[in-house]
Amino acid sequence: MCALPKIGPKRLMTLLKHHDPQTAWAVVQGRAKPNEVVEAMLRVEGLATLLRHRATHELQDQIERRCIKAGIQITIFGDENYPRALIADLAPPAVLFYFGDLSVLNNRRVGMVGTRSATASGRYLASHIAHDLATNDVCVVSGLARGIDAWAHRGALRALESNLEKQIAGRPVGVVASGLDVVYPRENVQLWQDIATHGALISESAPGSPPEAFRFPLRNRILAALSEVLVVVESRDTGGSMITVDEAQKRDVTVLAVPGSPHNVASNGTNLLIQQGCLPVIGAQDVLVALGLDNRRAQENIYDPRARLSPSDQNIVSLMAGSPFTLENFVIRSRLATIDAAVALGRLEALGWIVENSGWWEVIEVRQPLH
Amino acid sequence: MFASVRSATLLGVRGSRVDVEVHAGIGLPGFTVVGQPDEVCRESRDRVRAALLSSDLPWPTRRITVNLAPSGDRKSGACLDLAIAVGLLAAQGLLPVEILSQYAFIAELGLDGSLRPVRGATPLVLATADRQTVVAFENLGEASAATVTQVFSAKTLFDVVACLSGRAQWQKVALQKNSGRSRVVPDLADVQGQPVARQALEISAAGSHHLLLVGPPGAGKTMLAERLVGLLPPLNDEQAISATMIHSSVQTEFLNGGLIRDAPYRAPHHSSSMVAMVGGGTALMRPGEISLASHGVLFLDELGEFAPSVLDALRQPLEQRVVHLARARTSVVMPAEFLLVAATNPCPCGEGTPGACTCDDAARARYLRRFSGPLLDRFDLRVAVSRPNTVDLISPIAGEPTSVVAARVADARSLAFSRFGDTNSALTRQQLDSAAPLTKKAEEFLRKELEAGHLSGRGYHRVRRVARTIADLAGAPEMIDETHLHLALMLRVDLASGLRTREMSF
Repeated sequence: MCALPKIGPKRLMTLLKHHDPQTAWAVVQGRAKPNEVVEAMLRVEGLATLLRHRATHELQDQIERRCIKAGIQITIFGDENYPRALIADLAPPAVLFYFGDLSVLNNRRVGMVGTRSATASGRYLASHIAHDLATNDVCVVSGLARGIDAWAHRGALRALESNLEKQIAGRPVGVVASGLDVVYPRENVQLWQDIATHGALISESAPGSPPEAFRFPLRNRILAALSEVLVVVESRDTGGSMITVDEAQKRDVTVLAVPGSPHNVASNGTNLLIQQGCLPVIGAQDVLVALGLDNRRAQENIYDPRARLSPSDQNIVSLMAGSPFTLENFVIRSRLATIDAAVALGRLEALGWIVENSGWWEVIEVRQPLH
Repeated sequence: MFASVRSATLLGVRGSRVDVEVHAGIGLPGFTVVGQPDEVCRESRDRVRAALLSSDLPWPTRRITVNLAPSGDRKSGACLDLAIAVGLLAAQGLLPVEILSQYAFIAELGLDGSLRPVRGATPLVLATADRQTVVAFENLGEASAATVTQVFSAKTLFDVVACLSGRAQWQKVALQKNSGRSRVVPDLADVQGQPVARQALEISAAGSHHLLLVGPPGAGKTMLAERLVGLLPPLNDEQAISATMIHSSVQTEFLNGGLIRDAPYRAPHHSSSMVAMVGGGTALMRPGEISLASHGVLFLDELGEFAPSVLDALRQPLEQRVVHLARARTSVVMPAEFLLVAATNPCPCGEGTPGACTCDDAARARYLRRFSGPLLDRFDLRVAVSRPNTVDLISPIAGEPTSVVAARVADARSLAFSRFGDTNSALTRQQLDSAAPLTKKAEEFLRKELEAGHLSGRGYHRVRRVARTIADLAGAPEMIDETHLHLALMLRVDLASGLRTREMSF
């Protein structure tokens, strides 16, 4: 039914509230008499006619075949394994398609969102925070988009990999907008499989649904509803992450934001959130505190494995940290001769302090636990 | 009655010798041109007839055959008019036949008997360089600069006849010599700030390294490219003749000042067709933009907007410095020894800064796919240009002017020429080892870069050539050390590096 046109989460919910699934399908096809509430709904702008035409047996077969072929499982509102976090939600999805194990949602959950065009330090932070959260048995919930989302999941998966014998409970949870057999973006195909195997991959859309623009805000609402705390790593002030933040605020979910340099466009949104009163996050510790899992005393020591820099290199790193820069920006700001500037950048790159991305350089952080 | 008169026609950027044979014999009065004339050539009958009659000269009432020898090649253009008219008069016995063997004639005729200039005067005159050549007055400046043999000019057909029959003397005309820059080139002093972009221009000019400017709109990419041509030294004699031949064979205005001495600058629009770019088109095989930019700068703004086939057609000329064009009837070789400068935005939204760019990866990948890898590889210098900051932009202090930078460029170029007689970008792999020896540390550094996969085999040699130029400019003519290599590598931005998911230890 959810593959039908004009049937969003709300109408689907109404249908299923008043009929059991089989009767609801018959009602949509026009074979059964609807309950009066449903009848009122179907009267809108020839909805009943449209649905009668589209709700064919072929559609039913097609969806069934897709589910079986891809191994997609289904849970309906009211089922035993339907996520508890969604039952009391403002707009709970009537049906969820999923891969993996929904019981991981009984663990502590933190949502991580951010821009698709992230800076290197944004990606680094997303990955690191997710890693540390997963190590502390917290599930990382994210949207599997490019950029921050993908790197958060990579971080969580890496935590699983490095703690194989401990069987940590912090599993990655992906909430996606398209149908589960439509991988979008394509480049994340490996990530989809890994999350499906090690955690849970959830979608509200019927298998085969393309990644249409209207599905993303709906996905964001589920993401927000599944999160106990939402962390925004990098976002422009107009980014899609801000929709997730709105949804989270509607649900009284705590929103935390990673601060960035005021020069960095990618941090405009998060800086704005902090200005509006969100707590800043500079590491996984801050998120754990928000979850009531303060374990700062029990932490391993963290250190930077890179070689100490000479005082002049240290000056360069502190001068240029914060936002991406080109060789030219560097020459102007450091007042070095171009050739000396080039040598300095080459040296810092070799030492692992900066990384290059199509002509843009960024200072990065590296931290490792002390063993 | 028979007469043979020397002239020439144009093919590509070269003239080829044509003997105009005129036979006036018994038969029904008529006029035929044989020897593969094209439409314009065949129409010369009417122009010549009107010109003769207007000049009070007789039109023979005989059967006239004009043969353009060698008769196998196709002839094109109106430059044979004067030769046909002179041949007709000689065939009637109105001009001494013996004297014609000292002359060649290259001009179009007007109906009033005046001599009209033709395009391609330089290559045409060079094709008839073993004789004294008569051209239209407007062609005299260019023609006499191109050749050492005597070039005469006249205003009308009547004057030509008078001089040939000894009744008058050829007019002596004092020519103005072309000295210094005839064209105003924008000055580098207008560029505020942008130290790296300026340095890239200097290196590009000094070593003839092809340059790609990558930057957001408003970063001054076009402004920089326009100023590069001012840094190139004036053309030497050989280059000047070659450039003049190319420009002469297409242009409609006439080079009165003689040879072209300034490095040419061509900036074709991105809608340019393949033929406009590489040449060809008519039976004349017109030179394309790459030939017109020979010994100068070819600037392609918005590189990504050019048709991919047009861009890929540049690859062979970039490598060989000439372009071979073959058609069913003809094939020509034209010079294409240009310095390629191109500008592009880093991505469709133009912003490029990580975090500020609004393009998704697929859009960026699609955008970058427009430039083929082999083409990008041919740019020795790929430089990220950022918008000048506000302080620099409104600062009253002007940047270093073109004259100062051009002097450094000239020094570096003469250093390069003293080694192997060419610019650094033309150094072969064998020459590199003796021309650009590496210090121990530099060798170590390059080996690391190669092992880390930052550099391809071809890139390795290109970096060494650029480093050679950087060292030349820095006044270090001997060894290349790692500082030169560092800069050479920094000025070689990998556009696609942002797309690859980096193997970072996150």
